[in-house]
Amino acid sequence: MTERQEEFELTAMPHSRSLLRVARRIASDPAAAEDLVQETLLRAWRNFDRFEKGTNVRAWLFRILFNAFYAQGRKARSSPLVASIEEGRLEAMSRGDARAQPPIVEAAAVSHALQQLSDDHRAVLLLGVVEGFTCREMAEILSLPIGTVMSRISRARQALRERLSPACSDVLHPRADVECAEREVS
Amino acid sequence: MNCHERAELTPLYLSGELEEERAAAFGAHLKSCAECIGELQHQARLDARLHDVLLAEDVNATKVDQRVREMIASRAASQPAYRDESRRWILATAGIAAAFALLVLAGHRFLLGKQVAQVYADAARDDQMEVVQLQPRHWYSDPAQISVLAQKVGVPQSALQALQRGPYRLERAKICFLDKHLFLHVVFSDGQRDLSMFLRQRDAMSVQGSADEMMNGKLVQTADIGGEHVALFETPQLIVMVATTQSSDAASHLVAFAASKL
Repeated sequence: MTERQEEFELTAMPHSRSLLRVARRIASDPAAAEDLVQETLLRAWRNFDRFEKGTNVRAWLFRILFNAFYAQGRKARSSPLVASIEEGRLEAMSRGDARAQPPIVEAAAVSHALQQLSDDHRAVLLLGVVEGFTCREMAEILSLPIGTVMSRISRARQALRERLSPACSDVLHPRADVECAEREVS
Repeated sequence: MNCHERAELTPLYLSGELEEERAAAFGAHLKSCAECIGELQHQARLDARLHDVLLAEDVNATKVDQRVREMIASRAASQPAYRDESRRWILATAGIAAAFALLVLAGHRFLLGKQVAQVYADAARDDQMEVVQLQPRHWYSDPAQISVLAQKVGVPQSALQALQRGPYRLERAKICFLDKHLFLHVVFSDGQRDLSMFLRQRDAMSVQGSADEMMNGKLVQTADIGGEHVALFETPQLIVMVATTQSSDAASHLVAFAASKL
């Protein structure tokens, strides 16, 4: 292994899982998500000389990811991606573990609601809420003014809340868990 | 600050980016506005739930990682060096490296009997180039950093600690690729010479050597490749290799020590 390969292995490769987590939510299917992450890491490798050591490698990688995604042209989201992510949860629910159902239903509802959002709204929620990037970092990743990022994530949060059914949005308050589950299953 | 301003600044507040003065004004507004604090608490709960739901998903990047490493390795093999210092070293040692590669290939081919696993040749190459020829590599000598590297390849801290309770001092370590698998390459010193040890979590990779012997209750497989003596044994948890150009006695002593400790 060359010195460059070692540095890349230690600097960039540990973030592949985070990249894949986001890619699965923006790409059209699981194979496309893996291809997107592969392309991201290979682009990062080709440009590793230009990466300033000690700076924010995560933001750099996610910027490459989104640039690669937009360069491919946004393919329509298809239900298979949602189904593949939801499968595990729904299988568990169908096994009839009553104790597990409320959290599983609620998690499935949150997951499904996220996928129903627009690409732009989903992207900022994935980056800001799930991956923990600041608004300034998101502005760098998405090549947007910070004001645009701020308003976009506010609207995304509102859209997510609206997508969640009234009962399920109440699962944030523990006593409503069972009621929500009953409504989802029926 | 009014409710509208509060709403506009909420993204910066939730991500911890508000500067001190505005954060104080934001907090003061929350204390006086029940509606805003209710809204913010509701949003924070939804954020937390979204975060937890997504992070609980099973995301396995192993396949992608492996493909990327293979593609990088194949491209690295075909591309010229890109840094001046590496280029100088490569030019300076090109003849030696080429000769060594021929010896490795020749040794590999002429090992009698069994098909020797590629990992022996790779270990021999790494020891020759990185420890004997001292080609520039980014080594770590800080114990805390070495511990982090060890975790990446599934080597428990207890194993590293056990190996340091004896006549060998752990000098430095780095991650390397042997037969497309990540290993921890550790350099031990006995006060007179540097010896390479390679460790990783045990898995199904091929480890067939050309000869074997029992040592401290462990089956040790060996191969001699291009002047390098390479020995390998497995524990329930680990694959352990020693590679050295020193006498096979030096390798045997380190292997026997490691086999007794792991």
